[in-house]
Amino acid sequence: MKKVVEVFLLFLLLVFTPHAKGTGNSPPGKPTLNRCRSPEKETFTCWWEPGSDGGLPTTFALYYRKETSETVYECPDYHTAGKNSCFFNKNDTSIWVNYNITVVATNALGSTFSDPVDIDVVYIVKPNPPERVTVIVLEDKSWPFLRVSWEPPHKADTRSGWITLVYQIRVKLEQEKDWETHHAGQQKMFNVFSLRSGGTYLVQVRCKPDHGFWSEWSSTSYVKVPDYFHREKSVWILIMVFSAFIFLILTWLLHMNSHSLKHCILPPVPGPKIKGFDNQLLKNGKSEELFSALVVSDFPPTTSYNYEDLLVEYLEVNVPEEQELMLEENKDLHDGCLKSECSTSDSDSGRGSCDSHTLLMDKCGEAKEEERQTDQERMGTEAEDMVSPDMSSGRVKTWPSVFSPLPQYSSNTLDEQSSLEMAKQHYLSDSQFLPSSTSSYLTQPGHGTKEALGPSYWEFCLSNKQPHLLHPQTQARQQLQAHSDVDISSIGRKQAPAGLQSPLLRPTEYVEVQRVNEEDMVHLQPVVSGCGQNNCSPQMPQGEDYSKVKGVDSDNVLLLQRNMMEEDRCPCEHQETNGVKENCYTSSTVTTTQKPTAMPVQDEMVLGMNGYVDTATMCILPTY
Amino acid sequence: MAQRKTNGSKLFMMVLYMVAACSAIPISDLLDRASQRSDTLHSLSTTLTQDLDSHFPPMGRVITPRPSMCHTSSLHTPIDKEQALQVSEADLLSLVRSLLQAWRDPLVILSTSANTLPHPAQNSISTKVQELLEHTKSLGDGLDILSGKFGPAAQSISSLPYRGGNDISQDRISRLTNFHFLMSCFRRDSHKIDSFLKVLRCRAAKLQPEMC
Repeated sequence: MKKVVEVFLLFLLLVFTPHAKGTGNSPPGKPTLNRCRSPEKETFTCWWEPGSDGGLPTTFALYYRKETSETVYECPDYHTAGKNSCFFNKNDTSIWVNYNITVVATNALGSTFSDPVDIDVVYIVKPNPPERVTVIVLEDKSWPFLRVSWEPPHKADTRSGWITLVYQIRVKLEQEKDWETHHAGQQKMFNVFSLRSGGTYLVQVRCKPDHGFWSEWSSTSYVKVPDYFHREKSVWILIMVFSAFIFLILTWLLHMNSHSLKHCILPPVPGPKIKGFDNQLLKNGKSEELFSALVVSDFPPTTSYNYEDLLVEYLEVNVPEEQELMLEENKDLHDGCLKSECSTSDSDSGRGSCDSHTLLMDKCGEAKEEERQTDQERMGTEAEDMVSPDMSSGRVKTWPSVFSPLPQYSSNTLDEQSSLEMAKQHYLSDSQFLPSSTSSYLTQPGHGTKEALGPSYWEFCLSNKQPHLLHPQTQARQQLQAHSDVDISSIGRKQAPAGLQSPLLRPTEYVEVQRVNEEDMVHLQPVVSGCGQNNCSPQMPQGEDYSKVKGVDSDNVLLLQRNMMEEDRCPCEHQETNGVKENCYTSSTVTTTQKPTAMPVQDEMVLGMNGYVDTATMCILPTY
Repeated sequence: MAQRKTNGSKLFMMVLYMVAACSAIPISDLLDRASQRSDTLHSLSTTLTQDLDSHFPPMGRVITPRPSMCHTSSLHTPIDKEQALQVSEADLLSLVRSLLQAWRDPLVILSTSANTLPHPAQNSISTKVQELLEHTKSLGDGLDILSGKFGPAAQSISSLPYRGGNDISQDRISRLTNFHFLMSCFRRDSHKIDSFLKVLRCRAAKLQPEMC
């Protein structure tokens, strides 16, 4: 019983003793060998991590065993490598041999063994960092670069080839946070390019054995790259100067060629250009010079003319005997540039001279000066337009616009005829062209009229005064007559040129008032005499021609007289102002003057008997 | 890849043969070439071992046969640096050649075994073993030619027969264990070969200190 109590008490004592202490001692916790390293493959060190110490002072011991023997050795050196470490020196280190290492922690209460670790020295090599890292700044063609050089760790025996190290360097700018890593292989020197001028660089180097672990990074080396900005700047300055120079040159060139450039970029709008027409003169208002210039260049002369003079009371149309003469005349006229001069003198004895008062009305001309002016101007541009022969100075006051067209004739293949026509056309077409003026009425035969002017018509402005419509010169006169003849005949010859031919040949032809335009211009068209309604081949101007102006009656009706027989007068006669009868153009009297009177024109068309064309004052002159 | 390796080895042999014939190529370059190959060899074996370890059951460690039981352990190789540096070049070369020779057959067995190895990374392991085989063969052939330059001592090769048997045990654990054991033996021996060749290279390249 007592024994039981004693045992019980002892037991209690044993149980409570630890609790009485409060801290609770225990055998040490299990230490762990966390790493072993060899810096040069000749020695190595192992470090362990102690476990809990159990509240009591604990001692550690490391025991190892080589694979070749069963002998257990204790760590020879606990202090060289620091606390909780074991250093194996060269004598104790064998390579290509497995070590079985165990750490034992011991305290008063007991000891604890760590887990054993097998290591082979050759597999745990981690060298020291490279030593004596130097960085210098060198220049490569004025561009700086870093040269980094170092030494292997002094312990590592690379000379004999026992350990082979490869290196790595890393560089960064002071203010940056990312490193730039370069692999340097086995060499002990490295160049770093692409530096920023004026920056401070940090350089570090580390190494690794061929089959081992990387060393720690060496201590940082600082290097400052000198400024080479000024060198860059000088280059920039050069570039700026050069470009400024080039810019100046370009500006100067541009300035020099500004005109041509302007022409290139904004070409001037071409305006209508009349040969010999001087815009400046026109602007200045000097019409005489202007028109004289035109006359010079084959234009109907438009010197100041007296419209009144231009007007003729009646148109005297003569049929020249010989065609050749006419032709010649025509040619002359054709060739020459006839100035428009209206001379009052009428040397023409009455062959349809411009000055003939019977042709044109004076009033017409006077009144229509303005209109003529405009007409004249128009004339140039409107080739096909009606030309009213309106010559101020000329006796014949024809509207400027009357004269233009006889395109058909111009297109006539027959030269003579064409020339004839030309002549006529000239005569007709020139407003400026003073029919009364001697010479050059006929300007440019083909001027503007070469083309097939549909209707050839010519308007006459009949005026009282009938200045000689035809130019004073005989030639001209004749030609004029011829012209008039031709014109007359050709007027209204809308037909094919073929048709024109024959009528052209015929000296005497009809003149038919084609129409009266609003300017009181009488458009005459030749009538093919003898052509019936249907089948008038214009080619046969039968013997009807009238180019004889009989007179102008009071109503400003130009009366034309037919010269010859009238047998074949065209039965179909009626006025068509735009008579588009196929082949037949009949003459019609034309009362000109105004539009209002245009109607009457038609009415009076039948004035003429026998197919005459009573070219009364067709046109125009209404308002005078 | 295999053809490339054989071509490479052939080329290497040709080069060495030419060297033997004409001695136009310096030894240091040849040794440099050889050490590069051995370096590759060892790296491969290290990778292979790590692949094996990734899935190797830790408990297998306990029953891992000790490395001293490698079939090449009878070969006396230097165990530290002083000893290694005292060995002559011819002897070093002879050691290297012996080791290479000793591993030709076991590697074949390993290669065969790797095809059916019960391991998750069996494919890559098999490929790597194949490479090992080729590298070893080419290196051995090259060094056979090179040894002519080093004198008669380099010609002697110790015979280290492998007696492990063709058929590594039947059960899975045993097979894996054996495979792992062989690989660890080979890893060490390849490191030896590499180290010796690099020492030789450094010795031969007296005029080129940067090689060391």
